[in-house]
Amino acid sequence: MSLAAWLELIASGLITGGIYALVALGLNLQYGLMRILNIAHGEFLMVGAYLTWMAQTTLGGESWWMPLVMVPVSFMILMVLGLVIHKLCFARLNATSPNLDIFEARGLMVAFGLMFLVQNFASYMWGGDLRGYDFLTEPVKIGNTQFAGNKLLVFALALLFSAALIVLLRMTLLGKGVRALMQSPVGAQLVGIDTRRLHPMMFGIGLGLSGVAGCLLSMAYTISPAMGEPYTVTALIVITLGGFGSMGGALAGGLLLGVIEALGMHFTNPSLKALLSYVVFIGVLLLRPEGLFARKTRKA
Amino acid sequence: MTSRQILMRDFLVLFGLTGWALSLPYYGSEFVVSMALTCLMYVALSSSWGLFCGSTRYLSLATSAFFGIGAYTSALALDKLPWLQCIALGAAIATLVAVVMGAAVLHLRGTYFAVLTFGMTELIRHAITYFEKSVTGTVGRVLTVVPERDTIYLTVLGLAVLSVGVSIVVRRTRFGMALMGIGADEQRAQTLGVNTKLVKLAGFAMTAAFAGAVGAAISVRWTYIDPHTVFNPFIGFQTVLIALIGGAVTLWGPLIAAIVFSVLAETLRLQFPQIYMMSLGLLLILSVLYLPGGLASLRWETFRGWWRDMRDRGKALRYEWSGDKERDKARDKKRRKEQRAF
Repeated sequence: MSLAAWLELIASGLITGGIYALVALGLNLQYGLMRILNIAHGEFLMVGAYLTWMAQTTLGGESWWMPLVMVPVSFMILMVLGLVIHKLCFARLNATSPNLDIFEARGLMVAFGLMFLVQNFASYMWGGDLRGYDFLTEPVKIGNTQFAGNKLLVFALALLFSAALIVLLRMTLLGKGVRALMQSPVGAQLVGIDTRRLHPMMFGIGLGLSGVAGCLLSMAYTISPAMGEPYTVTALIVITLGGFGSMGGALAGGLLLGVIEALGMHFTNPSLKALLSYVVFIGVLLLRPEGLFARKTRKA
Repeated sequence: MTSRQILMRDFLVLFGLTGWALSLPYYGSEFVVSMALTCLMYVALSSSWGLFCGSTRYLSLATSAFFGIGAYTSALALDKLPWLQCIALGAAIATLVAVVMGAAVLHLRGTYFAVLTFGMTELIRHAITYFEKSVTGTVGRVLTVVPERDTIYLTVLGLAVLSVGVSIVVRRTRFGMALMGIGADEQRAQTLGVNTKLVKLAGFAMTAAFAGAVGAAISVRWTYIDPHTVFNPFIGFQTVLIALIGGAVTLWGPLIAAIVFSVLAETLRLQFPQIYMMSLGLLLILSVLYLPGGLASLRWETFRGWWRDMRDRGKALRYEWSGDKERDKARDKKRRKEQRAF
């Protein structure tokens, strides 16, 4: 294999990996911060994708700007949805669970219920067909290799959002509060962080980020009501690779997973892709459950 | 009631239900029998699930893996072995896989365990899909020689009765106590001399054996199997759902919930499949939030508690919205000011 072919392979792996990292952002915030393993994450992503598709086909016509406008819009819609869900389910759960272990198990069950609810609501509303629209489909030439324009855009935006989130968590006072909450909820409360406001807000932002991911994904891929589950699994794999709650780790983990899959698919067989990612997932969970890049202290 | 009386009562109820289920194929229509078959399948799956996962609070999502393994075993062995040996072989292979899987993951608790068992199920499904595609060159398998309907019905009924019976007996043995102890506090159980590793492994293997046997018995009814249908994660999810909504720790909870669900499924599923699934999700959320002990823990006292909660909340809201709260606050402030003035 020549050098150029290697580069192309790795670049395509990186692009897929960036998308994986994007998908994992919201879940990482929710699980790392609040111990809510939101299995319905992919489903909310699907809702974001459908909102974008609806806006593009009904309002946007053939315009090039509608999907981009929908990025903040779907963020807001899903954030509000997240606040409502938190108020209805998780606030009560938080108040009635005797300890964190039980809260985690019950939260997982509630998320399962949400998964059934949202997925079937979508297939009831929009039918089970594959949907999609054309957006920036002409290829872009970089050097000797060609990439699809929409995937490059999604990759760039994914990197942008990950970087923005890392900066937000590291540099601002809000981020400091969030990180404190991640380390010790009781301690955070003791030093005067308003956990009652921060908790719903973070859950909302987590869902909002999944909406953004769905919006961006709908630009490059076809969508269907069943698309959520594979993305949930991917997100889980990525955040285990990166270590729960670590944003930088998730970005690195996503890129790594993309490259591993691209290389593995090239050298073995495309139908082994799913098998490969599960092997990576189980291997990491069994051998290094704290994440590949974890040091002794946790960082955001 | 003393413990012996409860044991007798449980066995009598089980005996009565079995007799009723036995007579069903002789007067029920084809539709009723197939509905009862689904119901019995979920009774067996969810009571055996509750036996291990309910009492130890290890949330396993691997039921569909064992189910699928059992189904494939009986599909492969059906024309070579007699019927009952097929089922036993399915259970044995599922147990074997469970022991290997359990040895790897049972030291992890909580969400890690749930996610890992789910991951392993998917891994097995993809591995078998790949194997079938590349080695055998098929997608699914058609079962040509299948036993009669009544044979399948009796087998599944036998498995359901066996799983409830085992639950009745096991919770009275040292083994069952050890499982409960692990659920309450694993470290304490270990300190008190329970070999937790062995007990957990045995419990997990037992659940897997039932799931494997049920898979082996049901697959022949479907006559066509492929990895996507028999390893369908939905089988595992629904088992967990039924057990949790019924009350995973209780004996009769999974059975009650399985009956409710099969009736609900058959009435709603054909006309409105999405509404059926949505109501499943909603029921799960509601039961986790308001009835953590499951349907079997429902008593008059529970309703009274809900009523009290609602009344109190209504009172608080009325107090706030009518403006009384503001007025009381203002009056309080004023009184304090006057006191300070003196």
